[in-house]
Order: sequence, then C-alpha cells, then structure tokens
Amino acid sequence: MRSRLRRDIVVGLILFFVLFFLPTLFPKPALRDFLIYVIAYGLLAMSLNLLIGLTGLVAFGHAAFFASGAYTFALLMQWGRTSIPVAMLAAILGTAVLALVIGAICVRLKNIYFSFITLAFQMFLHSVILTWVSMTGGDQGLQGGIPRPVFFGIDLNNARTLYSFCVVTFVLCLAIMRQVSESPFGYTLRMIRDNPERANFLGVNVVRMKLGVFVLSGAMASVGGIVLALFVSGAYPEFGFWTTSGEAIFMLMLGGTQLFLGPLAGALLLEALNHYITIYTEYHGLVLGVVILVIVLGLRRGIADSLFAYVTQRREARRIDEVKRPILQPTKNEPA
Amino acid sequence: MNLEALVACLTSASCAVTQISTALIVGTLLFLVAAGLSLIFGVLGVINFAHGGFYMLGAYFAFTAYKLSGSFIVALVAGSLGAGLFGVLFERLIISRVYGRDLLMQLLVCYALTLILDDGVKLIYGAEYRMMGMPAAFAVAPVQIAGAFVPGYYLFMVAIALATGLLLWLGINRTLLGKTIRALAINPQMVGVLGVNTAALYAGVFGVGSLLAGMAGALAAPIRTLTPGIGFSFLIESFIVTVIGGMGSIAGAFIAALLIGFIRAFGAIGFPWFVEGLMFAIMALVLVIKPTGLLGREAA
Amino acid sequence: MSKTRTSRTRTTLSRRKFIATAAAGTAAAITGFPHIAGAQAKVIRIGMPTILSGRVAMLGNSNRASAQIAVKAFNEAGGVNGRTIELIDRDSQGKPDVAAKVTRDLINNDGCEIIIDGEASSGAFAVQEVIRDLPVLCIHTCSETSALSADPKLFVKTAFRCARQGIHDAVAGGTYAAKVAKEKGLKRWMTCSPDYAYGRDNTAEFLEFTKRFEPSVEVVDQVWPKLFAPDYTESITKILQVKPQAIYSALWGGDVVAFIEQATLYNLFGSSTFFSSSIGDPPVLTAIRQIPEGLLTAYRYSRQYPENTGNTAFADAFNKVAHFDPTNWGWQTYVAMGFLVEALKRTNGDTDGKKLAAEIAGMRLQTPLGIDGTITMRESDHTIIGYPVAWSHTVPKAPFLAGFEPVAWENILSHEAEWKKSKGYV
Repeated sequence: MRSRLRRDIVVGLILFFVLFFLPTLFPKPALRDFLIYVIAYGLLAMSLNLLIGLTGLVAFGHAAFFASGAYTFALLMQWGRTSIPVAMLAAILGTAVLALVIGAICVRLKNIYFSFITLAFQMFLHSVILTWVSMTGGDQGLQGGIPRPVFFGIDLNNARTLYSFCVVTFVLCLAIMRQVSESPFGYTLRMIRDNPERANFLGVNVVRMKLGVFVLSGAMASVGGIVLALFVSGAYPEFGFWTTSGEAIFMLMLGGTQLFLGPLAGALLLEALNHYITIYTEYHGLVLGVVILVIVLGLRRGIADSLFAYVTQRREARRIDEVKRPILQPTKNEPA
Repeated sequence: MNLEALVACLTSASCAVTQISTALIVGTLLFLVAAGLSLIFGVLGVINFAHGGFYMLGAYFAFTAYKLSGSFIVALVAGSLGAGLFGVLFERLIISRVYGRDLLMQLLVCYALTLILDDGVKLIYGAEYRMMGMPAAFAVAPVQIAGAFVPGYYLFMVAIALATGLLLWLGINRTLLGKTIRALAINPQMVGVLGVNTAALYAGVFGVGSLLAGMAGALAAPIRTLTPGIGFSFLIESFIVTVIGGMGSIAGAFIAALLIGFIRAFGAIGFPWFVEGLMFAIMALVLVIKPTGLLGREAA
Repeated sequence: MSKTRTSRTRTTLSRRKFIATAAAGTAAAITGFPHIAGAQAKVIRIGMPTILSGRVAMLGNSNRASAQIAVKAFNEAGGVNGRTIELIDRDSQGKPDVAAKVTRDLINNDGCEIIIDGEASSGAFAVQEVIRDLPVLCIHTCSETSALSADPKLFVKTAFRCARQGIHDAVAGGTYAAKVAKEKGLKRWMTCSPDYAYGRDNTAEFLEFTKRFEPSVEVVDQVWPKLFAPDYTESITKILQVKPQAIYSALWGGDVVAFIEQATLYNLFGSSTFFSSSIGDPPVLTAIRQIPEGLLTAYRYSRQYPENTGNTAFADAFNKVAHFDPTNWGWQTYVAMGFLVEALKRTNGDTDGKKLAAEIAGMRLQTPLGIDGTITMRESDHTIIGYPVAWSHTVPKAPFLAGFEPVAWENILSHEAEWKKSKGYV
C-alpha cells in the first residue's frame, strides 16, 4: 500500500512538473491555451469516470455540474465581493449541494434509467440557464468578463500565472480523486460496480455510497467549469448542453475507463483532434465520425484500454502457466 | 402563468378545437419518430441516438424525389423507403457489431453516424436551408370545424400518421410476424433455435424503425425548413416521448407524444415560459415513479 | 441492457507508458505549429473565425464568399507595397468559447495580423474580449447587437463593427411601421419572435419606436417560439385566437421560411399585416415556395437596392462563388473588406493594429452598397452609418421585393443619440 502511495506521489509530481514547465520550454500562448482546455475538459472527463469507470454509473448529464461550477463562480466574481479562492470554494460547495439534491433522486435508479434521469436534469438546468436571462444572460452567456482581482499576491491577469494556477488546481484535484479511488471507499465502489447484490449482502449502504461518489464527482466537474470560466472570462449555456456531456463520454471512450489517467489521455486526444480537424476542414463531423467508428469497431474499446489490455495480455502470455482463465472474455454477438 | 387565458380557451369551442388540432399535428408527427425509436429499443435493446438522422434523410429524400417527379406520393414513399433502407444498411454494417456491448459503445456509434450523416447531407445539398413547398393538391383553404380552421394538409398528415401507427400496432400484436418479433425481444436464442433468421429480423425491425422516422421527415418536408442537422432538435423530444411512454411500447409512445402535443398547444396559451421545463420535469417524474415509463415493461 | 464487466487486472507500467507517450506526442505536435514569426511577413494573413457548420453555416459561407471576392480583387491588383492577402477561415461551430479560442489561435499560431470576425452576437462579444488582449485590427461583420459598439465599457480601440445595428433598424422600422399603422389603422399588434437575446431585444426596440411614433399602437400579446424550432403551429394558432391587425416577427433564416409556409396554410396573412425583420434576405425569399404578396420587411440585402451597376456586379460575383444571392452577412463582410483594403492602402501595407484603426475610424468609404455611394465608419463608437435601411414589400415574382422606402438617416441618428443617453452610454 505504501509503495503504491509513493508511486502515486512520484507520478503526480512528474505530471505537475511537466505541465508546469512545458510552457517555459515552449513559450507559446497557443500551447498554454490548449493545455488549459485539456485541464478543464480533463477534469470533466476524469470526474465522470469516477461514476462510469469506478462505480459503473453511466451518467449522461455530467456537464450540468461543469456548467454549475462555471456559472456560480463567474456570478460570484462579477458580484465583486469575493476573492477568487473564496468564489471557487463557494462554487464547488454550491455544486456539491446541487449534486446532492440531484443525486438523491437519481442514484436510486438503475442502468439506463439512471442515464436518462441525469440527462433530464441536465436539460432542465440548461433550460433554466436559457430562461433566467436576468441572472445568467440567457443564450448570450455571462458578459462583461470575469474580473480577476489579485489574491495573496497572485495576479491571474498574467497569462502565465493563470496557467500555473490552473495546473496547481488540476493536480490537486487529481490527487483528491486518486486518493478516493484508492481508498476503502473506492474499493467499495468497485464492488458495487461489479456486484451490487454482494455489496448489499455485506452490509454496504449502496445508495449512500453511490450518492457520495455522485457528489464528489459533481464537485470535481465543477472545478473544470471554473477553470474554463476563468480562462474564457465568461460562462456560456453550451457548457451545460448535452453535447458537452457527450464530449466527456467520448473522451472516456478514447482514453478508456479502466485507467485512472485514461480519461485525461482521452481529453488530450480529443482536444488535439478537434484542434487539427478544425484547422483543415469544416467537415469535422465527418472526420470525427469516421474516427469514432474506427475506434469503436476496430479496437472495440478505448485506446488506452486496448493498449492496457494488449500489454496485460502479453505479460500474462509470458506467465501462461499461472493463468487459469483468459483475461478477456469474448463478447456476445447478440443483443442483451 | 396565465390561467385565465387557458380557461377562456378551453371554454371557447373554436379555440379549444384549434388547439386540440395543434396538439394532434405536433403529437402525431412526434409519435412517428418516437415509435421508431421505441420499436428499435424494445426489440434490439439499442438506444438509437442516430434516429434524428433518419428523420433528416427522409426529409431530404422526399425533397429530391418531389423535385424530380413532382408527385408528393412518390416523395412520401421515397422518403420513407429511403430512410428505411439506410436503416437496414446501418444495422447490418455497424449496429450489429455492437449488440450486447457497452451502452457507451452503442451511443458512440450512433453519435458518429449522426455526425457523418449531417456532414454528408451538407456535402451533397449544401448548408443552405431548403423548402420543398406545399404540393398543389393541398393548397386549399383550411377546413372549418366548429368555428376553428384546420389546414387540409394537416388533416392528411395526421390521418397518415394515425393509420401508420395503427398498422404498426396491429402488425406487432396481431400477426405471426409480430409475435415472432415480440419473442425476439424476450428470448433471441430461443427464436434462433426455432429456425428463424434472427439477423434478418433485427435488420428488418431496425429498417421499419428508420422508415417511421423517414416518413415523419417526408411528411414534414412540405412545411418545415430543411437544413443539415434538423434531426437533432427532434431527437431530444422524441427521446422524452419514449422515456415517458416506456421504452419499447408503441402505445406508450402514442400517449406520450400526444401528451407533449397537448403541453405544447395549451402551454403556448397558458404557460409559454414553462413548456420546455415542464417536459423535462415530467420525464424526471415518470422516471422516479415508474422508471419503465407509463406503458413500458422491464427491458429485456 | 446489462453488461457483465470482465475482471480487470491492474498493471502500472503500460498505463504510465501510454499516457506519457500520448502526452509527449501531442505536446510535440502542438509546439511544432507553423508560426509566422514577427510582423510584416510578405503575405498579410487575415483570420476569420465564423460559423461553418450546423444550422447557421450559411452565415460562414456568406462571409467567406464575400471575403474571397475582395481578397481576389486585392491580390489581382498586385496588393499593396508588394504584400498580398491570404484568408484563413475557421469554424467555431457557433460556440462562443470556441470562437475565442479559435481567434487566439489564428493570431498566436497562424500569424494572422488582422481579424475579420464573422461570428454571430455572443461569439462576437467573446472575440471582442480576445482583441482587448491581443490588439490586432478586428472588424465584426455579423453582430447586430447594439451594445457591442454602443456600450463604452465594451469599447476596444482596434475593434470595429461593420454590420447593421439593432437600434438603427429599430428607429427605421418604427418610423415605417408607424406610418403604415396610421394609414391602415393598425392598432392591435402581436409579435412572434425567437426566444433568445437577439429576438427579444430586436422586438422590444422595434415596438418601443413604433409606439413612440404612433401611440395608438397596442401590443395585445407576444409569442416566443424557440430559436430553430421546426414547427410553429402552436404559435400560429395562438395568433389566430388573438386576431391581431398586425404582426411583427424577428424570426430569420430558415425559421422565417418555415413560419411563412406554415402560416400560409392557416391563411394568416389574409387577416393580418405582417412586418418582418428578415424576409428581405434574398435566400429567404427564394426558399419560400409561394411567397404571399404584401408582407412588409426591413432591408437585409437586395441586388436592386441601392440601384446601381456596382451593386448588381457584387451580387453576381457573390452568387458565382456561393451559389445563392448575397445575404445581409454577405454585404457586411464585403464592405468590411472594403474598409480594410482602403486602410491598408493608406498605411502602405502596414498591418499594425493601431495604425489601421486610426485610418478606419471615421473613414467614409466609397462603395456601391451605401445609399449615397458611401458608408461611414463613425469615429466615436466604431460602427457604420449610412447603410441601406429601406423597408419594402413582397411581390410574387423574382426578385420578390418592391417599393423600397428609405428612412432618413438624420432621424435615425438623432433618436439613436437620445437612446444612448437613456441607456447611460454617453
């Protein structure tokens, strides 16, 4: 256990230093911009993976919390009486409460019905954002920019400082999510995912556990929203539209759900893909669609997951005598 | 909230009839799309997020057929069959490969198809909005019913949609083929053992589902603007309908589609601000109380 | 719908390796962008963030067509001081945050020295904030929201708007509508506009001036269909219940086309006079299969107004590239390019944001698209005046519009000044 913790810390530090100093090595604003996007959407995807990969809850409405974080934070800053860290904490807490309320209703539902109801709540929130024009600016989004007052001597109006701040926030969130997923709570969640009946037998309060991870995941998604709002200096209803949730799911599929950092790789890949496709063609739907089909039909799982499976298989093959059963069970070729 | 206006409308024959006809016009078209979605889910267990794309295909096929032939009947048939054929192709080539797989995989495949179809249409037809126009046969004065006016075309549209719905229901509940399909939904292995070509049946069901969406598109073509991506806005609404009515239930889809139609028609008078929100609220409520929907059974 | 998960084994090596490779690969790719270092490369790169996909792709197509025509003419004439123009357009998919990102990329990565912003309202505000940060010359060609140029808080020294402005159209529309209301005795009014910021603002401003110029006008009801709604039946039947004498609608593009077709089924235009903000856009007119006679519309663009050969030549050139007649967005971008080219000539090809801005501010551009042969970029708030605002009515045969009635710009300007004061903008 201890060696695992040490390894996590090392990986975390490496990630931190790479992200932190990459713009020093390549001092281009575009790289920073790009990485901030990866951080924001990476947080969305990774927090979603707490639900999908870790707990087996396929949420369709995760962007609701992304948007809630962005809007709460932006509105607090525009109100002008809070500092950035206070507004951030308030936005995270506010989103956690929202997730608690929504989650309390949603986690009782199973399978696809859970997916539907999270989608319904997201669309409801989206239509509130659109309708409540006096508060949210409606379809125009929050305008007039988000002020970035100096706190503790940190001035986020400086693009480099803003970037560094985002990296620190990001790595902190990763550390929290990693700790949770490696904690006994995390293993309880895995058990719920793999065998809820068994968990129930063992006296686990399944609903409460699911609610717990739902709230945590919502709060983490809100940090992604905050980062994006801070960066674009505004908040837009698109943040809470179902296509944003769809994008997060796509990132999971690209990167894989089985590895902790998989979704981040997915976010990186999708952002890079989007970046280049938009440069070269206006038919990005066509290109993206074909890419998805190739991945899903060709690899049959996320890129990171297939690589993971491939390496695992190779390794297992080497120790074939110890293996009693195949790692990968063949998939049924008919409807469930 | 404007309850007065709502009450005033309900007590006036002409207003009530007009709004009821509006509810039927909105509802029946929605029903066609949602019924296809529901059928596909009920039998194949696939949530076809690409369903909106078939609506769009139906509309564009009808547009082209009408332009070439000048006959609306030809356009209607071309739109429906064209979308249906595409559905069969899509099922055989792509969807059949993700049966029984992760829900997310199915979702992604459908998402990919939607993206490809939208851009494909844009490539072929251009990004401009297009209008097929009302066939001359329907360019008549609105029909008067109890002081209310209902356009002739809408009467035709509602009749076609209702007849199709009825045929579909009879087909599923009153024929041998329907029985086989229902059995397929419950126990595909057993049906296969009995010597039925289940693969063909799956493709057929998917085709019929797509055909329904295409027919809705073709029926809408004379009155709605065509642009790449028109299926998108329809998707969420037909999705709400299927969830409320119960995934897999044709009758449920019918009831829920009419419910949405009535909310739209009377909401426009009584509570225009809350129409959108109300639909999502009802969907959430139904999911909480009876997750399988009004007339749905536990998914196979 | 159930899925049994395969048992998973945890390995650590592969994951780290994979993620590291992915990260390194992407980072290398991104940092390896082509970057045109320093200013004043031989080719002047102009970046155009716009919407090329989705429901309003026509906006981007229009902007691109106009810009291409202007660029081609500029380059064929040999450019300025040996410098030619290269146009780089990029799709924002209509998302404001993507518009901001794309604009930054165009400037930082692709070395664009000038931005022609083809974004709709919310995107234009996002681009405006980018220009505040990276002060290259920027001309917005699609946002009609008055605040963009009228609100001094949003002012950016190197940013301009070359597009019609809501408040100008409101005064012009109010003047015309009041006149028609008086003549025909139209007292009971209703509105049917899309439920989003532009639709609401446009409608409120139109009504404000119509009522001011003709106090007997009374708005009895308003319906707000959703933007991009496929079906307007419930709005139409609601209007039928209210039986107004006149209707104002800010529906545009494909939406107004669908509305007209559906309303015709109910014979709506037989009983009410219809005022529209957008039927005057040529693609709308051609998309409607059987256009009812006598619908009244604000100016968007017309190849016959202003009536001169320069205008029809532009329309023909545009149609050749885009395969449809110019839209409102089309002429706006074309004129914006006119301002830009003229400014480049005056700076002798210097693309410095401040220098170009100094030339464009207050410039009176010679253009066949202005009503007196010119359009002026007002110095005080960086927005154009003197562009066509004439109302007209529909006729069944191409080009479907007739009876253009201009509204005097002196009037518009004096009411605009008053409005600015009331908003606290001056």
